[in-house]
Amino acid sequence: MLPDRDTVAEAVKRVLVVEARVNVPPQELRDDEPLNGDLLRINSLAFVGLIISLEEALDATFEDALFMNNEFRTVGDLVDVLHGEIAGAAGAA
Amino acid sequence: MTPAVLAAPEAVASDAAGVEIPTHWYNLLADLPFPIPPDLPPRERAGGGAAFRPQVPLELVRQSLSKQPLVVIPEPIRELYALWRPTPLRRAARLEAALGTPARIYYKYEGVNVSGSHKLNTAVAQAYYYQRAGVKRLTTGTGAGQWGTALAVACHLFGLECKVYMVGTSYRQKPYRKVAMQMFGAQVASSPSPQTQAGRELLARDPDGHGNLALAIAEALEEALSRDDTRFCIGSGEPYSILHQTVMGEEARQQLAALGEQPDVVLGSLGAGSNFGGIAFPFLRGNLAGESSVRCVSVEPAACPKLTRGVYAYDYTDSSGITPLEKMYTLGHSFAPTDIHAGGLRYHACSKLISALRHHDLIEAVAYQQTEVFRSGLLFGQTEGIVPAPESAHAVHGAVVEALRAKEEGTSPAILICLSGHGYFDMSAYEAFMDGRLKDVQVTDEEIARSLAELPVVDE
Repeated sequence: MLPDRDTVAEAVKRVLVVEARVNVPPQELRDDEPLNGDLLRINSLAFVGLIISLEEALDATFEDALFMNNEFRTVGDLVDVLHGEIAGAAGAA
Repeated sequence: MTPAVLAAPEAVASDAAGVEIPTHWYNLLADLPFPIPPDLPPRERAGGGAAFRPQVPLELVRQSLSKQPLVVIPEPIRELYALWRPTPLRRAARLEAALGTPARIYYKYEGVNVSGSHKLNTAVAQAYYYQRAGVKRLTTGTGAGQWGTALAVACHLFGLECKVYMVGTSYRQKPYRKVAMQMFGAQVASSPSPQTQAGRELLARDPDGHGNLALAIAEALEEALSRDDTRFCIGSGEPYSILHQTVMGEEARQQLAALGEQPDVVLGSLGAGSNFGGIAFPFLRGNLAGESSVRCVSVEPAACPKLTRGVYAYDYTDSSGITPLEKMYTLGHSFAPTDIHAGGLRYHACSKLISALRHHDLIEAVAYQQTEVFRSGLLFGQTEGIVPAPESAHAVHGAVVEALRAKEEGTSPAILICLSGHGYFDMSAYEAFMDGRLKDVQVTDEEIARSLAELPVVDE
């Protein structure tokens, strides 16, 4: 079944706290938390490894163009892009 | 820039022994019996919460994290490889005779492409993946200029713009490297440059600053982060660049097998690790499977002795202090190697993959002074007819040491080296050596301790 936005957000936050090595429950990460801020410190170089981990968590394969052509600032930005891609891919299938 | 023509050759080339260009790169990570320590987030909040764009194509990282030991070389890359591959594997019989050694010395010569070094093996692959990801322009940092030249060529082949920050010392020592890059449409800046904040800060502190590779990389990254149309790429150190370079070792393995040979020792010079890893990993594969016991020896300059005198610790990969932390052998990201003529080896640390191999005693490491290295490089040129790049001359000297030891011990090992590039842009260095102006560099324990004191403190 196609994951809804909440399911994608849960997976993203679960992976984020592991990759960023922060001691925060995933559910407490806010959508407007900056990816490269005081808490998470995921920068443009670390971001790619994060996406690879998310592919495994979401059982999906993402295209480079999706990320290379988008800017990311917050957790919510990433959730929206991934959810949009998964929904789009399912719609096209 | 004139659009490049990606003409496919009629057939993939083979050498005189019928050895063809490998169809796969070898992914050592898949065979390692231990995990590589994970990268850690940067210690500082470099971005201030601002938006960013990813820099590296997913496919590059994905292929190096593959669980499969063999990664298919995409046909468009293999067709471009056919412009210069298979590269020659030759026996250095005249060098052996000059040394009076019973050892058999083979060299894999990677200087036969237009950029003059092995760097084109990964430059072509990286440009291919960046172009497929929709990138139009790349920036990078280069030490001696081999990587910058290779990326300029690769960008031209794939119709990408290219901007290269070249370490200032090399920029001045090797002006024709700059011309070579410009021939393929690249912009070239001497690092430290006034074009970036990192460069301006260094110039303010030290107006005559000669720069180093860590700073050139930091400048290239800063520019990439400041422009929507530009992405950053790197020539050595990351697992994917070493993966691409294994085409050398895979090819050499087949070529030696065609001669009925198996090396006892494989040597490569060590900067960040792609040259050494590229030639050594396909032979380490047999070691890991328990089928062989090939000694793999990295050769580094005594002026930048990360594997022989550094520590295995988390550190930044450039001098900016904003990169993720990688666990590697390092002299500290603030270590500023003295100017030596092997500019491509002046990097403060070593790839996390090579570092882990060293940590687990799967490879050996040696360091030599530059005058002895140039002496062997000159001898190689006089006997074999190829002037080695100063970086490659480190591997040559390593082979000379092994061959002379064999002579003393009465053994006759088969020695394989990667002659990673030619030295025809390095005549001023050979001139300095012949004039007696080339000096050895003594790095003190205190110098190393000072830079190591600036390592980031992390909880592992």
